[in-house]
Amino acid sequence: MHINRKFNFMKRWIRIILAIAVACAVTGGIIAYRIFNKPHRDVTQETGVALTAQQLYDAFKTNEQAANQKYLDKAIQLTGEIADISKNQEGNIVVNFKTNDPLVMINCTFKTNPGELKPGQNITFKGICTGYIPDANVVINEGVLAK
Amino acid sequence: MKQIITILLLALAMTGDLHAQKIFGTRNGKIGFISPTDDDVKAVNNEVSSRISDNGQITFSLLIKGFRFKYAEMQDHFNDQYLESTKFPRADFKGMITNLGDINFSKDGTYKAIVKGDLLMHGVTKNVLVNGVIEIKGGKPSVKASFVIVMKDFKIDAANVTDKVTIEINCQYQ
Repeated sequence: MHINRKFNFMKRWIRIILAIAVACAVTGGIIAYRIFNKPHRDVTQETGVALTAQQLYDAFKTNEQAANQKYLDKAIQLTGEIADISKNQEGNIVVNFKTNDPLVMINCTFKTNPGELKPGQNITFKGICTGYIPDANVVINEGVLAK
Repeated sequence: MKQIITILLLALAMTGDLHAQKIFGTRNGKIGFISPTDDDVKAVNNEVSSRISDNGQITFSLLIKGFRFKYAEMQDHFNDQYLESTKFPRADFKGMITNLGDINFSKDGTYKAIVKGDLLMHGVTKNVLVNGVIEIKGGKPSVKASFVIVMKDFKIDAANVTDKVTIEINCQYQ
């Protein structure tokens, strides 16, 4: 009788410990699952800072540090004139927007195909700004055609 | 006298033309990296600005935030904890081809190239030596190279992820 009760007591503890272990494993699993399945940023779900290609270039040219603080990693809704259209080495469409400096462009990579575009056309592109490379371009990627 | 000056000026202009260097560039070159010990630690940047000149100068600039990982969470850690890309948004390489005599930029072919230069990343500049291949096709060069960097050399504390990464360069120029 006495031994039986002790056995029951232990059984209860084992059950509790097992339950805790299972709970930990499940939580760990959920955390790992979330880490590996966290979606990439989707710019279509964000409101972009509205700028023209020239305004964005001017901001970086005058004060790169201040522009980084304002625009780095932000969704930008950029309007400008297309200088040229090409494909990057992965096959994604890239549009360069004109600025008043013939050597400097706003380099924009689409994550989805925007359909037919032509040089000289004015469009609005929404993407995430990764920064400025002096004497070359401001880079925006992971973008879509907004207008 | 006027004629002599004109001829001299013309001659000067012509020699200038003879020695005019050819520069090739791209705004969308590709540079990736992978950890030799963990396949998942891998990312690619497709917005590399690079210029190569037939006088041997070669430059690469890229934005750290432009590296794309398979896992978004890893990308966040890479930017926030390891490369501190808000503080150091860009990496730059400026170098010279040391065996320029072996490369003919105006003749199609595949040439081995040795490049020596300075790599600035995470606020640290380090001299690196890279062996690569320059391919000239239809008069346009492309560059392929890979080299290993040690994270500690650039004061990147990523010991719990990887000590080293292999950088892979693949740029096609216009």
